[in-house]
Amino acid sequence: MSEITFDAVERGIRTTAATVLRNEQHFCDLDALAGDGDFGNSLAAGFRVIEAELPTLDKSNIGAFLLKLSMIISKHVGGSSGPLWGTAFMRAGMLCKDKTSITLEDMEKIVTAAIEGIQARGGAQPGDKTLIDVLIPVRDAIGEHARGDGDTKAALRDATAAAEDAAERAKSWVAKRGRQQFTGDRSSGTPDPGMVAVATILGDLCTEFGVSRSTVNA
Amino acid sequence: MRKFLNDPNNFVKEMIEGVHLANPGKFKLVPEFNLLYRSDRPDNSKVSIVQGSGSGHEPAHIMAVGPGMLDAASPGAVFAAPPVDTCLACIEHLKSDAGVLVLINNYQGDRMSWDMAIEMAQAQGIKVEKFIISDDVAVPNSTYSIGRRGVAGNFFVIKACGAAAERGASLDDLLKLAGKVNDNVRSMGVALSSCTPPLKGAPLFDIAEDEMEFGIGIHGEPGRRRDKTKAADAIVDEMFDAIAGDLPFNKGDRVAVMINGLGGTPISELYLLYRRAAQRCEQAGLTIVRNYVGEYCTSLEMAGASLTLLRLDKELEDLLAAPAEIPIRVF
Repeated sequence: MSEITFDAVERGIRTTAATVLRNEQHFCDLDALAGDGDFGNSLAAGFRVIEAELPTLDKSNIGAFLLKLSMIISKHVGGSSGPLWGTAFMRAGMLCKDKTSITLEDMEKIVTAAIEGIQARGGAQPGDKTLIDVLIPVRDAIGEHARGDGDTKAALRDATAAAEDAAERAKSWVAKRGRQQFTGDRSSGTPDPGMVAVATILGDLCTEFGVSRSTVNA
Repeated sequence: MRKFLNDPNNFVKEMIEGVHLANPGKFKLVPEFNLLYRSDRPDNSKVSIVQGSGSGHEPAHIMAVGPGMLDAASPGAVFAAPPVDTCLACIEHLKSDAGVLVLINNYQGDRMSWDMAIEMAQAQGIKVEKFIISDDVAVPNSTYSIGRRGVAGNFFVIKACGAAAERGASLDDLLKLAGKVNDNVRSMGVALSSCTPPLKGAPLFDIAEDEMEFGIGIHGEPGRRRDKTKAADAIVDEMFDAIAGDLPFNKGDRVAVMINGLGGTPISELYLLYRRAAQRCEQAGLTIVRNYVGEYCTSLEMAGASLTLLRLDKELEDLLAAPAEIPIRVF
């Protein structure tokens, strides 16, 4: 399988919403370790609206669909996560204008655009312990398969492993952006909730799309 | 909570409806986006000037819409940035061949919402640019801002750009003009009490009867220090020194002076503060060309005031003197 269809994108979004809602309290607990403890609620507020509106959203193409999601996320996800996650979806939507299916190469460009959007909006640099520190290895994992075997399932498997690894490695870092920066060194030793959220979502996407995690390189 | 309220959730909506009803024929209202705009805008020969920040700073900005000032305002909830769809709707309703200028006070939430909306609008082919206002000398960074906060000095950016836009200034000209005003305006505020957002129902912070927060932000965020209150003249002196030394303002400068009430301080006290500010200007050799005493950018019912100085040149003097009309006729 090398094409990602509109149906797969919609299924992925539905899975993402379910993951975010199921982990609402867990993400809050992670955020409370060094931030203000509302990350799970903030994210869930937006994805609750997505779950409710999913049946009636514009599904004429992937671009229009993602742009609509970007609006909902920006409006309903609280704090700075709203515009940051919203920008990621907006940049992705702009790249998918009029498309009804995308390739792994498109996906690599989409994640790159999302990273650039988040950086433009929030000013984060690699190593600041933010969302982009999980998205960069995810993008790279996708890119390897885009230029290699073109296998979307293998790309998802390796992107998930890369995300989990990045979230784990970043625990020891000191946060330099967002609310966690105010706690300074106290943020060292705690996970970044945004990075964990991305890894958790990808893990659930593996389950949803029947991607075996057993072959993941150790 | 001593407030006139129906449902606290409807506070902003009902306030805007009141402004709309009080000015029959002058404004159009788009309730789902808290958007109020001049009935005679957009005009393709004029740049539309818009601003949307959190509510709770009235008259900024919903009551600063009118000829010679803003063409539209689309505020968020109390002390909350307007959501992206609100910002985008504002730009879409006000789009003009001459362009749209978005004025933004320097707070992260406002900047992110407007930046996203501007990007989406530009992708649709709408001509729109932004300018970030940052006049507060109190703190280099704050809870909600990277860099200086935008406070009462935003009035002068709106007034100058509003007047110039009426005369047909281009979007590029207005961006340069906004930059000139922002470069020459400085503010600092002091709070004597907290304020109570309607939905929160409790004061934002605790402050004792005999204390002041020096360098307060307009969302109740901390300033330079908490201190015992002192004589009014001494408070003005400290604000004046912080502002005048910052630009710096020099002997011979022609200036506009604003004493802005933060919402809970009577006009009598504001004039008492102005008295000292005028004395200090005279001592420093600054010529006061125009003065503004009243409420321009508030923090709900917070007792307190800010001082703003703007250094003028001929162009700015001329633009400040141009006619303007807004729902609260403060000038």
